[in-house]
Amino acid sequence: MLSDAGSIPAASTSFGSSDVLNNRKLLTRAAGLPLLLFFAGSLSVAGLSGQVPSQGPPAARGAERIKTVVIDPGHGGIEVGAKGKFGNLEKEITLAVGLKLKALIEKNMAFNVVMTRDRDVDVSIENRSAIANNHKADIFISIHANGALQKKAQGSETFFLNLNATDEETRRLAYLENNSSQLESRIDPSSDDDLMMILWDMAQTAYIRESSRLAEMVQGELNALLGTRNRGIKQAPFKVLAGVACPAILVEAAFLSNPEEEKRLASEQFQAGIADAIYRGLARYLRSVT
Amino acid sequence: MAEEKKAGISRRAFVLGGLAVALVALAVLFYTGGGREEIRHIAETVLPKAAPSEEETGGRVSVTLFFLSDDDDLLHRETREIAAGPTPADEAERALEELIKGSEKDYLSPLPPQARVRQVFVNKDGTAYVDFGKEIMEKFSYGSSSELAAVYAVVNTLAVNFRPIKRVVILVEGAERETLGGHVDLSRPFAANLALVAK
Repeated sequence: MLSDAGSIPAASTSFGSSDVLNNRKLLTRAAGLPLLLFFAGSLSVAGLSGQVPSQGPPAARGAERIKTVVIDPGHGGIEVGAKGKFGNLEKEITLAVGLKLKALIEKNMAFNVVMTRDRDVDVSIENRSAIANNHKADIFISIHANGALQKKAQGSETFFLNLNATDEETRRLAYLENNSSQLESRIDPSSDDDLMMILWDMAQTAYIRESSRLAEMVQGELNALLGTRNRGIKQAPFKVLAGVACPAILVEAAFLSNPEEEKRLASEQFQAGIADAIYRGLARYLRSVT
Repeated sequence: MAEEKKAGISRRAFVLGGLAVALVALAVLFYTGGGREEIRHIAETVLPKAAPSEEETGGRVSVTLFFLSDDDDLLHRETREIAAGPTPADEAERALEELIKGSEKDYLSPLPPQARVRQVFVNKDGTAYVDFGKEIMEKFSYGSSSELAAVYAVVNTLAVNFRPIKRVVILVEGAERETLGGHVDLSRPFAANLALVAK
């Protein structure tokens, strides 16, 4: 079973950074048990209610347990993200919004805020989730501006993870489910790299329900505040969400590929509006978990 | 003198003998070789008939490609004929090349026109590995929407058309990448996603 899992590409990603290695160790502690208990249920969000165990994700135990919010301004460095007709880059807008959000949270809430980047640098996606896990993130918010080939595409949407589960995946889940009782003692990074890899890969799955609630609340505020078209909350297999061991969302505020929305995205006022909307959505989420 | 004549005769006999041997050898070659030639001919015409589906359409098969419409956020189907066979991987590669060429209607192409398929490999377990050249990453600045469209246009084109392909792994320049443009996770195999396709 394990050697099967080991032969698929998902398990063969190579790690270079110590951040990532620490992340994997931490993950065993932070996510191992709730993650496995989660697997007893189905992957569908609807089917999850009541299945999060009492030692579950921090957010489920009340807002007072939430200490660290990690903000992830999408892209950076040579990785520019979407590009607007007037030359605005996704990486610039995400950083501007991220810094504004950080300031808002620090001013009004007692949380420790960690940025995955606070200037124009390359950060690999693997390292973004590693930064979050190493700082014991309780909430992870990735900020993006969208880009489509259709010039008319417009509006804002908020994503949470959709594990792109294939039959291979189902077998891996079945393996974990069948071995969950002894798993804590089984996981030894030095002896069982494949299994660690599976856990690392699926860190987010234990938090899907909380992530969808957070997404819903942020999405509600985004449209109320920005007046952009409501594209709703959606699920997608976004890399940056997959490895994060806490509730995690990815906000796509308006389209850089739409010239009208690009102009708005470039304005500081609109950027402040996005930050404010995320802040309000976060506050609503925190109230709902107490 | 007599000695010389004797040598001349024996040389002539040698030449004649050689010729006779050559003739016999030629005759043997003619019959057996000719026979083999005939068998090979039969084999050539018989073997393709073992796969009649390709013959029926004159060596062409119809595939469904996935493009974007300016009017919504969905992928739209367009059928195209490609040369058939010999393997699903060959057909899959041709289908992707058609996808890159773009729509014959007014649809938008989800992949950059410079994109290049280096190889398609289909594993026995039903996983297709599509190896693109670096152009697929470099020629587009992807947003989440366009990156999802690019990935699922490729995945659906393979997983919907070719029965042996159940899931798709996208590689670039022979290696696994995190993403094409910073969003969609490429480390995991994709199954077809028809939720993104117009009815």
